[in-house]
Amino acid sequence: MSVEETVKKIVIRIVRQPEIEFKPTATFKDLKADSLDVVQILVAVEDTFDIEIVDEELKDVTNLGGFVAYIEQKIAEKPK
Amino acid sequence: MSFNGKVALITGGSRGIGRAITLKFASEGADVIINFFRKRDTAEQTAQEARNKGVTAHIIKANLAEPEKIDHMFNEIEEKWGRLDILINNAASGVARAAMELDYDGWDWTMNVNARAALLCAQRAAKLMKNGGSIVNISSLGSRLVMPIYAAVGVSKAALEALTRYLAIELAPKGIRVNVVSASAVETEALKLYTTDPNLPRPMVTNTPAGRMVQPEDMANVVAFLCSDAAAMIRGQIIIIDGGLSLTSLGHTAQTGGKGG
Repeated sequence: MSVEETVKKIVIRIVRQPEIEFKPTATFKDLKADSLDVVQILVAVEDTFDIEIVDEELKDVTNLGGFVAYIEQKIAEKPK
Repeated sequence: MSFNGKVALITGGSRGIGRAITLKFASEGADVIINFFRKRDTAEQTAQEARNKGVTAHIIKANLAEPEKIDHMFNEIEEKWGRLDILINNAASGVARAAMELDYDGWDWTMNVNARAALLCAQRAAKLMKNGGSIVNISSLGSRLVMPIYAAVGVSKAALEALTRYLAIELAPKGIRVNVVSASAVETEALKLYTTDPNLPRPMVTNTPAGRMVQPEDMANVVAFLCSDAAAMIRGQIIIIDGGLSLTSLGHTAQTGGKGG
């Protein structure tokens, strides 16, 4: 499963909206994610991919496409 | 007050009240274990401040909403230290909403982090307190008073306070003391989550007979006292740190004023 598909599953599970359209241009706000949802998504992503997300680094991430790209970058940076 | 040779775990120990407690124990000679949720840099920074006081400091990442993460944390503590003398259940989270706007997800999250985690941590910690020990749970006045958008946290803190009394009795024969330190609003970054009013400290100061906001160090000093031998016979109690705020009726202190301490 690709990073994008895994992230999509996590987001859908946490915002509890199975019908959402996971467009790269969509924001968490578009998905009606509240602040607790966002925290839970970040924690789930960290656990799933064994990475650590630095909140300050997310400041430049504006949408889901950017979020997936950020996660892919963190996975690539993991020590082998 | 010396905690030389003691090992203390402070959940949420890298920021705000938790940081002040961590540094207080480090100042008094205890080795500190700092649990943190997501901000590794901040935890490492606080750990370094503790090390600068001549003790060892270790950080452990754990989401306390998840029981298995709590287990992992204690497995690591058991493996590295084999014992624990002090547990401070300080980590807290919560959904800032009115009761009628809460959903079950927000309720569960808040209760799990603020109340269930304290139980699970106490259960594991007690097994490591082979020569007795002390547990302090951090609460707030919202356990008894109604505050705006504080329903979930207030209820979770009420549960934490009730839990404290049960643990205090059950663990007394093992020489483990369990108490609560509770506060009105403490001047930390977390306070901003519960207010949109940038001027909040001003009415808080005006209404507090002691004439100033509660600082994290005010909490840390009392937590340390409760963990000391001087507090040997204090069991299952709630010590309120609020500069007298909860004793007053509105408007009373505005007239009588107060001097900061």
